[in-house]
Amino acid sequence: MKVNVQNTSMLHYWKYFADGLKYTLIISIVGSIIGIILGVLLALMRISKFKPFSWFSISYTEVVRGTPMMVQVLLVYFGLGVLVNIPALTAGIIAVSLNSGAYVSEIIRGGIASVDKGQSEAAKSLGLSKKDAMVSVILPQAFKNIWPALGNEFITIIKESSIVSIIGVTDIVYELNIVRADTYRGVSPIVVAMVMYFVLSFTLTRVLNYFERKMNHD
Amino acid sequence: MTKTDDKVMIQVKDLKKSFGDNEVLKGIDGTVKSGQVICVIGPSGSGKSTFLRCLNLLENPTSGEVLFDGKDMTKLTHSEIAGLGARMGMVFQNFNLFPNMTVLENLKLSPKKVKHLSDEDATKISLDLLDRVGLKNKADVYPSSLSGGQAQRVAMARALAMNPEVMLFDEPTSALDPEMVGEVLSVMQELANEGMTMVVVTHEMGFAKKVADQVWFMADGYIQEKSDPETMFENPQTERAQDFINKIITD
Repeated sequence: MKVNVQNTSMLHYWKYFADGLKYTLIISIVGSIIGIILGVLLALMRISKFKPFSWFSISYTEVVRGTPMMVQVLLVYFGLGVLVNIPALTAGIIAVSLNSGAYVSEIIRGGIASVDKGQSEAAKSLGLSKKDAMVSVILPQAFKNIWPALGNEFITIIKESSIVSIIGVTDIVYELNIVRADTYRGVSPIVVAMVMYFVLSFTLTRVLNYFERKMNHD
Repeated sequence: MTKTDDKVMIQVKDLKKSFGDNEVLKGIDGTVKSGQVICVIGPSGSGKSTFLRCLNLLENPTSGEVLFDGKDMTKLTHSEIAGLGARMGMVFQNFNLFPNMTVLENLKLSPKKVKHLSDEDATKISLDLLDRVGLKNKADVYPSSLSGGQAQRVAMARALAMNPEVMLFDEPTSALDPEMVGEVLSVMQELANEGMTMVVVTHEMGFAKKVADQVWFMADGYIQEKSDPETMFENPQTERAQDFINKIITD
């Protein structure tokens, strides 16, 4: 009978997890940033007086919210794959961004609506253009109001980005499966992955709270 | 009050405004001359604020004309209306300072964005104005730490930073604690003395009596009476105005 002489300590496999962490971070960070940009655009389109913009934004949001992210990831990877050959990582980032944009746009729309009407009236009475009023007056206040909800969305992105492992992006969950297969240890890699996700989201929460306090002038 | 020259600044012709089925303004006519101080008084819900907000197009009139410097503003495009903000300042009941900026930034924003002044010039103008309203020491605080009276003085300074030709006041002292009304009114009086053209919707009859060149009494969507302050408060010509004046004097 053969005895397993391999070192199956999780520490021994740290490089796998580190690699996974790298890709989870890349997807989460890039996805969040593009998600915010997309979210602002979609929110502005939604409140635009030009109806086709508004319709597009509404339909987009509804479709994204009404379908599973896993299906969206598959569609982007294999669907775009028909037209151009894109790496799994790119497909993952695109899918996460598109998904996040829809959710963020709803949050931002609520944020814009939460800013007192007097603010845009004051801006208008001072001669500010709509764009300047939006950029300098409305959006900064909207972002302050929605900060907790936005933080929630970032944390969701970190966790939900794990879906991209199904198209072969080597994120934490992907590496976790490799380590499980390599070591025949069923539970330990899961625990490691869980701790990693928790540390990520917990750290992010602290950072977001710090900025929230900084924005608070009241 | 002799500084009034005869140049017509704002002319309103048959101005009407409805919100849905609710007709708030039923036909307003009036002329504001350069340097004049007009106080608009009247019972709540008579359309005073709506009238004022139609003057700078915060509300779009349903029909009628608002001529500013001879141009019908109701026919302007969006960007032209925005340009008006540079020439007509407005002070709101609830101040509407921007809470995400310091007092100084509140003042500088428009001169920089609209008039494209350099930061240096905008800062100089703003600090001068803050000095004028007695709040230079508050330049770097956020609006939330100001008292109501201070906030309203900052709001006036902010409107003045655009060097407007006309100042509109929408019940500027109604949201203030009684002890803060005086400081705001004294800045307004100073402005009037310097020859600023002003349209003031107010419940401060003392101010109207002292500062106004003309008092317009509004009720039921019409201007019922336009008189000099003395006539309006001592000997109103219309029954509606008599009623109103008697009420506020006995109360």
